[in-house]
Amino acid sequence: MLLQAAKFIGAGLATIGLAGAGVGIGTVFGALVIGISRNPSLKDELFKTAILGFALTEAIALFSLMMAFLILFAL
Amino acid sequence: MLHTPLEQFQIILLFSIKLFCFDFSITNLALVNLLVLAIFAAMVFFFSSNVNYLKETSFFFIPNTWQVFVEALYETSAQLLFDNINAEGEKYFPFISVIFTFVLFSNLIGLVPYSFTTTSHLIVTFTLSLSIFIGLNIICIQKHKFHMLSLFLPANTSFGLALLLVPIELLSYIFKPISLGVRLFANLMAGHTLLKVIVGFSWSMLLLEDFLAVFHIVPLLILVVLMGLELGVALIQAYVFTILTCIYLNDVINLH
Repeated sequence: MLLQAAKFIGAGLATIGLAGAGVGIGTVFGALVIGISRNPSLKDELFKTAILGFALTEAIALFSLMMAFLILFAL
Repeated sequence: MLHTPLEQFQIILLFSIKLFCFDFSITNLALVNLLVLAIFAAMVFFFSSNVNYLKETSFFFIPNTWQVFVEALYETSAQLLFDNINAEGEKYFPFISVIFTFVLFSNLIGLVPYSFTTTSHLIVTFTLSLSIFIGLNIICIQKHKFHMLSLFLPANTSFGLALLLVPIELLSYIFKPISLGVRLFANLMAGHTLLKVIVGFSWSMLLLEDFLAVFHIVPLLILVVLMGLELGVALIQAYVFTILTCIYLNDVINLH
C-alpha cells in the first residue's frame, strides 16, 4: 500500500519536468513568430530550424513523461 | 483485456530457430523489421514502369501518384544532406537515404493498429545510433588522422579555457549516440503508451454499466486527435534523426 502510494507520488513528481518543456516549446515558437514577422521571406527556412528545435525540446519533455510511465507501469 | 499500457511492447516469439548456440528466432520485432524492408523494396519494384534484362527497375517519365511518393522520400533525404553538408557529402547519400526511409517506415508501421513499433525499443534505436557513431569515427580518422582530436577543441581558445572546454566537448561527443538513440525511443514509446492510457480510460468507462458508459466516446475522440499527433511525431522524429546524423557527419568531415 505504501509502495503503491509512493509510486503515484513519484509519477506525479516526474511530470513537473513538463513545465520546463512547456517554456522551451513556447520560446521556440515565440522566436519563430518574431523571426517571421521581421523577415517573412525566410519563413520556410526558419520553420525547418524551428521544427528541429521543437523536436529537441519535446524529447526532453518525453524523458520525464517516460519516467512517469516507467514508475507507474514498469516497476 | 488490457493489463498495462506497456503490454504492447512485449516481444513475442513466433518461430524458434536455434543455430549452434545462437538464437535466430523470428519474433514479432524481427517480422516487422523484415516487413519494413519488404515494403520499401516492393514499393520501388511494383511502382516502376518495367524491369529490364539487368533486373534494374526504371521509373515513369511522367510520375504516377505512387512514384511521386517515392520521389518525395528521395528529395527529402537529398535536401537534408545538401543543406547540411557541402558537395563533399554527396557520396554519403545512400547512407542518409537508408536511415531516413528505415526510421520513417518503422515509425509509420507502428501506427497501424495491432502492429508493433520496432523503434519503440531502445535496443533497435541504440544499435542504429551507435553504429552511426562508430561509422562517423572511422570516417573522421580516415580523413583527418591525428587532426581528428581538434574536434574536442573549439577554435581560438586560450590554454586555460581549453583545460575546461576539452572535457566538456569530450563528454558531449560521447553523449551524441546516446541522446540520438534515446530521443527516438522515448518519443515513440511515450506516444504509444499515451495512446494506450487513453484507450484504457475509455475501456474502464465502458465497463461502468451505467448511463455514464455512453461517455466512453469522449476518450475515443481524443484518441483520434492523438493519433494525428502521433503521425506528426513519427514523421518529425524520422526527420530529426536524419538531420542530426547529417549535422554530426558535417562536424566530422569539416572539423570546426
